[in-house]
Order: sequence, then structure tokens, then C-alpha cells
Amino acid sequence: MTSTVDPFNLPKRTASNDTEIDREALARLLIEIARNVDPDYRAQFEAVPTADPRMETLRQLLVGREISELSRVTQLLGEPEQLAAAVGDVLPNAAALAPHAQLGEALAPAVERAVQRSIQRSPRTLTDILYPVFLPAIRKSIGEKIDQTFQSLNETLRHIFTWHGLKWRLEAWRTGASFSAVVLKHSLVYRVEHAFLIHRTSGLLIAHVTADNATSEDPQLISSMLSAIQDFVKDSFNEKEQGGLDTIRFGELRLWSEVGPFATLVSVIRGNPPEELHEIVRDVLLRIHEQSSQALEQFDGDGSQLASVEAQLQTCVELKQDESHEGFPWLVAAVALLLLSLAGGWYFLSWQSAQRWQAYLSRWQAYVSRVEAQPGIIVAEQQVRDGQFYIAGLRDPLAVDPQSLLSGTEVDPAQVHSQWQFYQSLEPEFVLKRLTASLAPPESVRLSIVNDRIVAGGEAPDTWINRARTAAQQLSAGGPIFDISGVRDVSPEARAAERWQAYVSRLETQPGIIVAEQKIRDGQFYIAGLRDPLGADPQSLLSGTEVDPARVHSQWQFYQSLEPEFVLKRLKASLYPPDTVRLSIVDDRIVAEGEAPDTWIDRARAAARQLSAGGPEFDISKVHDVSPEARAAEHWQYYVSRLEAQPGIIVAQQTARGGQFYISGLRDPLAADPQALLSGTEVDPARVHSQWQFYQSLDPKFVVKRLTASLNPPKTVQLSIIQGRIVAEGEAPAGWISRAQAAAEQLSADGVVLDVSQLSELNLAELNYLREAIQASNIFFPSGKVVPGPEQAPVLDRLAGQIKEFAENARKSGVTARFMLTGHSDATGRETANASISTARAEAVRALLNKRGVAPELLLVRGAGTFEPLVPENSQAGSSTNRRVSITVNLD
Amino acid sequence: MLQKKICMLGGFAVGKTSLVRRFVQSIFSETYLTTVGVKIDKKSVELPGKTVDLILWDLAGEDDIGSFRVSYVRGATGLVLVVDGTRAATLAVALTLRERVEAEFGAMPFILLINKSDLADRWAISDSEIDELRQRGWQIYLTSALTGEHVDDAFHQLASMVTK
Repeated sequence: MTSTVDPFNLPKRTASNDTEIDREALARLLIEIARNVDPDYRAQFEAVPTADPRMETLRQLLVGREISELSRVTQLLGEPEQLAAAVGDVLPNAAALAPHAQLGEALAPAVERAVQRSIQRSPRTLTDILYPVFLPAIRKSIGEKIDQTFQSLNETLRHIFTWHGLKWRLEAWRTGASFSAVVLKHSLVYRVEHAFLIHRTSGLLIAHVTADNATSEDPQLISSMLSAIQDFVKDSFNEKEQGGLDTIRFGELRLWSEVGPFATLVSVIRGNPPEELHEIVRDVLLRIHEQSSQALEQFDGDGSQLASVEAQLQTCVELKQDESHEGFPWLVAAVALLLLSLAGGWYFLSWQSAQRWQAYLSRWQAYVSRVEAQPGIIVAEQQVRDGQFYIAGLRDPLAVDPQSLLSGTEVDPAQVHSQWQFYQSLEPEFVLKRLTASLAPPESVRLSIVNDRIVAGGEAPDTWINRARTAAQQLSAGGPIFDISGVRDVSPEARAAERWQAYVSRLETQPGIIVAEQKIRDGQFYIAGLRDPLGADPQSLLSGTEVDPARVHSQWQFYQSLEPEFVLKRLKASLYPPDTVRLSIVDDRIVAEGEAPDTWIDRARAAARQLSAGGPEFDISKVHDVSPEARAAEHWQYYVSRLEAQPGIIVAQQTARGGQFYISGLRDPLAADPQALLSGTEVDPARVHSQWQFYQSLDPKFVVKRLTASLNPPKTVQLSIIQGRIVAEGEAPAGWISRAQAAAEQLSADGVVLDVSQLSELNLAELNYLREAIQASNIFFPSGKVVPGPEQAPVLDRLAGQIKEFAENARKSGVTARFMLTGHSDATGRETANASISTARAEAVRALLNKRGVAPELLLVRGAGTFEPLVPENSQAGSSTNRRVSITVNLD
Repeated sequence: MLQKKICMLGGFAVGKTSLVRRFVQSIFSETYLTTVGVKIDKKSVELPGKTVDLILWDLAGEDDIGSFRVSYVRGATGLVLVVDGTRAATLAVALTLRERVEAEFGAMPFILLINKSDLADRWAISDSEIDELRQRGWQIYLTSALTGEHVDDAFHQLASMVTK
């Protein structure tokens, strides 16, 4: 029995285990295939063993890879954490790709629930998040609401008692609107006078309309300034808000600005606009934006695209509410009259009592200001509380008692509560009082206050004066000055004695003065002793001591002091030491140092011996013997060494013989003159015999001098010595440069470097023009004549001027200009005659130019005969043109 | 009506305000400069076939670049840089101000006025410096508030530059 298998049903039959395949079905399928391959080959289905290992192999071969892949995916789905990680990777992308509407709908319930949960758990978090968003909104909304409320309140109050008020109440009742709304509707008086539409980014005016009769300054400037002020406020207060200034208010005038995405609408309103007007203006701005959004966005200062917005703005300025002419407010009048009479009665009563209290209060104030005016009293605080008076402050114990000042003020002392701290006032009068108490000045002293200073005058013993001086020093900080200079010391004798003692002790310290005795008797001073004549004069020492010289009787015996300084003075006076000898005191010895002729040394030695025993030692061992010859030889050596140091001088030989000096050697002619160097050396020129050979020094300094003389460099060239090399820098004419190069080559043979690489050729462009002009000139001659006709005089004048100018400019540039005057003749006549006439013509022009101030050495002359004609010689005109003198300019 | 916002920039006391005083329509006093930091004037320039109103924002001059209110330049289509020819440092200030503006709002046409040309003896900006700037294609005018020299030319030039 055979069975057929439907291959298409196979995949639907699931195996008992996920990982196992339906082996039976597979086996049948294979048999089926085999049957189809060879219909003769038949096999029983039952004959196929169910557990054929080949089946397993086949299965691995067919779907092994899929099985392992499937098991990985299954594992991934089975592990929640791995699955979450995989979905997390793609979730943001998936959300972004999902259609927005569907995603929003799908997420909305979840988000709502999440927010709800968040608020229930911690309302704070969400509040913090939303705070920056809703605070400005709330602020603005509250502000507007409060404005509205105030307006309606004002208006209600204004109209509550008028007939209109009653009428409007009726209207409110009838229409069901609030009374204040009705009042506002009827009472707000305003007019929109201007509407500016301003471009937001540039502040440029897009459009402007004005109500009838309203005037303003240039709207373009106003609109820019308005946006500048917006920027200013925004910057100044660091306001990040996208809005702008809502309202600017100035008296009756309000500027309301509504900010749109591209333009700001500013309406200028006179009067009291209702808050709804904001809405109206906002609507206008919205309509403008709707209508012309693109034109506004692209606005670049050209308003022609936006002409239509004016019509919209016009609707703004038509907004107004005229003043209603209300009837007389009878009700107000009646009520006001009643209130006035009641208030009047009450006011009169209270006025009376207030008057009394005021009078009392002003008496208290008078008392306080009287206390404040007292010296030595400082009122720190005063107040009136519950009908009681309180005063506190500082008072000097010497000041008036504030309590006593109360009498006569009609202020009840029982109501006054004072609190005073004692202090010491520094006001001069208190200081004076205290000084009088502490110093107890004698009757002969007068203390007074002069310009806030305390001045003491009169007479007092010095003890009192000293005490007063101490007191004055203590006073100084912050207090008044206590001037006691006007008090005369009344014990002059005592003072004189002191001064005498000071004088005597001064004398005793003087070197060369010995005080033997001194005394005071009957106001006279006696002093006696010894003094050295070289010591200070005791009489002259009196000056400055305030001792009266007339009362001094001195008796001085002269003696010779042996103190070193006196001995030194005496030695100087007797020995006349020469300038080269220095006398000084070293450790009580007198020491002579330096050089002196032997004659002086002998005298000094004698003086040293004569110094009496007990006096200081006179040491002359350090004085050198200097005879004039030795001195002269020294001077000579100094001169020779000075010569040797001179650049460009080489000393070959020098000797001093028989009082004469001989010197010979080489010197550069540019070096210093050896003879001139003698001055100041104290060498007698008459005894000097020099023999100098000239030579050329290769010292760069001398080379530079020689180069300057021989090359005569122009002013534009600088010669300098840099590290032993001579460097020429600057601009020079080409001729000069080549001369300098030649000089450099010559010098290099002597081992001296002259660097000419820094030279550049002088630019004579400015001169070229002049040169052209000169060379283009010709002086013409009549036939057979060697002197030009009178008509050539102006040409010669001009030429002379140009030549002089050219020569001068060339000289300034360091170039010498020479002018070659070439004479020409026409071809008429003999050649020899023509040659001589041409030279004569050149000579004549040279003379004429010389006459016009051109230096003759600049002018060279030659005759060209007929050899250099200007034009071919074939006509009369040709001949006359060729009779001429031409000029060429040469520079060297 | 064609209008353009123009900002005038320059260091302290380079003479911006006096430079334009005689040439512009103005309704605001110079105290605006010190209070609000800007003063607005208008200069109408006649170009072939059109009139351009240059709305000139005269910004308070500061040598302290830090305090320069760059927000005032927003929406401007051109700049007038003013330099005091007797103080070389003001040139650097003007160039720095321009760089700041350019960094904030992008490049825009400008003219450079070197003012106080009447004070030749105290002149501190060399011709070579000016030539160098001119070679960058800059429009440079030597002006004098005293004589009014070149001021009108400069505004005319700027007007044609910003309406191109």
C-alpha cells in the first residue's frame, strides 16, 4: 500500500520539540522524491526505519545555520535585560521615524499619567521646571488685570453720583453687563494719535499714520529712537524676554507697543485708553502680519512693497472715545455739602487744641535750641512722646546747668526728662576755665581767647612758664592752641647766670683754651685762663650765647698748645710746604707725605727737631726728594708715552741727555702734531729735539681721512669703520662708485678693507628733465658772425639759469656737472674758416654765459665746423639753423 | 521712501557727532548719547533716480571696546567708521569695533572717515598706512568737522554702496 504526502503541508506540521524536525514527514518526502525519480523503485513507507542517523546528517546539512541563528534570537527574546538593551538602541530612532500624529496619540495617555504621578509624588519638581515659563505670563496677566480693576474702580467712583451714573446702572441692569463695564464704555476718553509700524531688527519705519490735527517730529527718527530705547532697556536690565517695552507713559500721553514677529506696532494714545484697546491693536498687527508676512520679513528699507499696511494702521488711529458732557453731579454736591459741614465742625475743635499744643511744642523747641546754643552742651537726641519731653546729650561740668535754663520758658519741668553725660569740652572758653583752675596763674599773667587760641600775656617766673608749656603740649591734640610766648620771664638774672655757665662750659671744651677761673659778681662775669693764638677767639664765641658782652671781663694769657692740630697749624705757617706735600694727623702724630725738593726736606727736618719735648712727633720720612731734573725727566717720560699712544705716530727712539731731550720716529701727516702735544706736559719745548719722518698710516681712521680727501665723497655717502673695516654706504653717482671701487682694490693690496658693496647708484631722475631742456637749447648766429644776434639774449638768459640750477643740484648730489659748448657753422665758405668760426662761436657763448653768472670752469668749448649739422644743408633755412652753438651735459 | 540704517562707530572724542552736526536732520539732543548711548539723525542723499534716507545711529564713543553696545547695530546695512587723525590709536579702535560688528552681524559696506584733517601739524596717521587700507578696497575720506571737507562726498558714497 502506498501513501502520498502533500509536500506543502509539511512545514505546517510542527514537531513535538522545537529543536527536532519531523523525521517521519521528511522521510516520506524523500521517498516521494525518489519515487518521482524512478517510478519503478517503490518502497514501503513502513519499511523506512524512523531513527535513521542519515536523516540527522541531512537535517544538519540543510538547515544547520538557521537552527543556530534561531536559537540565538530565541535566547535574546527570553532574556529581558538583553532585550531591553537591544530595543533601547533603536528606540530614539524609531520614535523619530514614527508618524508624528500616531506617536503623539500613542504616547499622550502615558505622558499624562506620568505627569499626574510626578505631581502627586513631588509637585515641586514640575513647578521648578515650569517656573521660568509661567512666571512672566502670570506677571503680565496680573498686571493687566490690576490695571483694568483700577481703571474700572476709578471710573465707577467718578460716575457713581451723577445722573449718568444712574442711567448707566439702569443700562447695566437691563443688559446684564457689570456696571463698571458700562461706565468704562461710556467714560474712557482717549484718542489714538499716531500709529507707527516699525521694523523689528533695524528699527526702520515701515509705515506711519497720524490722526487729524495730531503733530509729531520726524517719524523716521522717532521710530528708530523708539527701538533704540527698547534695546537700551533690554541691555540695561539684561532682560532676555522676547517682548519689548509694553507701555511708555508720559503724562496724558501713552505709547503702547505690540510686538510681532517682524514688526512692532507702536500706538501713541492721548488720554485714558481702555485695556480692550490692547486687543484691538494686537488684532491690527496680526492682520498686517498675515497680509504681508513675506514683505515684512524681507523688508530692507524700501517701503513700497508695504503700502497696503497703511490702510490697516488707519483703523488704529480712528480709535477714540470722545468726552461725554456730563450733567452737574447734584447728588455729589448734596452729599459733599453735608460732609463738609460735619468735617468743618470737627476740624474747628481739633484745630483749637492743636493750636494750643503747637504753641507748647514751639516753646519746647525754643528751649532745645537754646540748650543747643550753649557752649559745652551737645544735644544728642530730643523727642516728644505722649506729651512728655525727652532730651539727652553731653555737657561739660563747667557749662550752664540745662535745668536752670528751663526757668522762664513756660515748659513744665515735670514733663522734661533729661539725661546728660559729663565730658570735657575742647571749646576754648572751657579749656581756658580748666587751665585757670589747674595752672593757677599769678596775678601778673593774663589769659584770654584770641581767634580760638588761648593767649597768655604778662610776666611769670620761669617755673610757672615751664608748667604752662607742659600744659600747652598736652592740650595740642584736638584742642585749642595755648600760646604762652607772650609771657615774659620775670627772673632775668637767674637766666643770665645760666647762660654764662653755658658759655663757660663751651669755652672749656674748645681746644687751645684752658679756663683757669671764672665767677659772677654783682651782675658782672669774670673769666681768666690760657689760650693758644691759633685757637678760637673766646670773645667771638660769645655771639649766640645771649650773654651780654659788656658784662664780661676776660683775662687771657697766650700759650702754645701742644695739641697736634695746633702744632700742625704752626708748622704749616712756618714751613710753607709745597703743593705736592700733604700734612696730616695720624694717631696724634703729624705725618708729611708726598714729594718735595731737598731744600724743603732739610727745613722740615730742622723743624721736627725743634719741636719741644712733650709735643707730637713730626714724621717726614714719607716725603720723597724731588730735584727739578728728576721732575723734568718724569715729565719727559709722560710726554713720550702720550706720543706712543697717539694713532699715526710711531716713536722709534728717544733719549734724555745733558738736560736735553731727543726723539725721532714716523708720523702720518694726518696724525696729531707732536709739538702741539707738548703743551700741558711741563716739558720745556726749547729742550726738545724732534726728528719725524712722514709715513702713511694704515690705521683705518687715517685711511678714512685720506679717502675723504682724495675721493671727495658726496654728502649722500657715509664712510664708517666697522670692526676694523671701512664701509661706504649711501647713494653716489656711478662715476664716483667706480672710483671708490678702484680705491678699494688699491687698498686691499695694503691689507685694508674698503667695503663698497653698500653703495647704490644715485638716482638723478629729477636732474634729467633739466638736462634734456639744456641739451635741447641752441644759440643761433647770423651768417659769418661769431656773436649771436640780440634776439638770442632771452635764450641765453634762460640757458644760464638752467645751467646754474643744474650745476647747483648736481653739486648737492655730490656730482660735478660740466657743460660742453659745441660751435657749428654752415657749409658756406672754406672748411678751415668754418672750423675756426665754429670754435669762436662756442667761445663767444662761453663768455656770454660767464657774463650771466655761470662759472667758466664748468664750461668746455669745442668747434665742430660743418661736421655735425642739425639739418641737411640744402636751403637758406637749413644754413641758418646750422649756424649755432649746442650744449651737452656731462657728469663726473 | 527708501531708508537704510547706518551705524557710526568710533573711539572716544573722534568727532563723530560734530562731523555730522551740520549735515543732518536731527530732533534729538546730544544728551541722548550719554543717557541712552545712541542718538539718531537722518541724512537724505540724492542718488540718480532715487532718494535714500540714511538713518544714522550715532553710537556713544568708547575707547573701552568692552562696553560697546553691539545690539544697537542689529539691522544696520552700513557703517561709518570715524577715526581721529591726530590720535593713531583711534584707528585701531575703529577697526576693532568693525571686527566686532562683523563677527556679530556679518560683513556690511562701510566707509572710513579720518577726521580732524584741519589739524595737519598734529597728524598722526601716515599716508602709507592710509594707502595700505585703500589698497584693500576701502573707501577712506579725510574729513574735517571744522571745514566740512569731504563729509557730503562720504555720505553720498555710502548711500550708493548700501543701495547696490
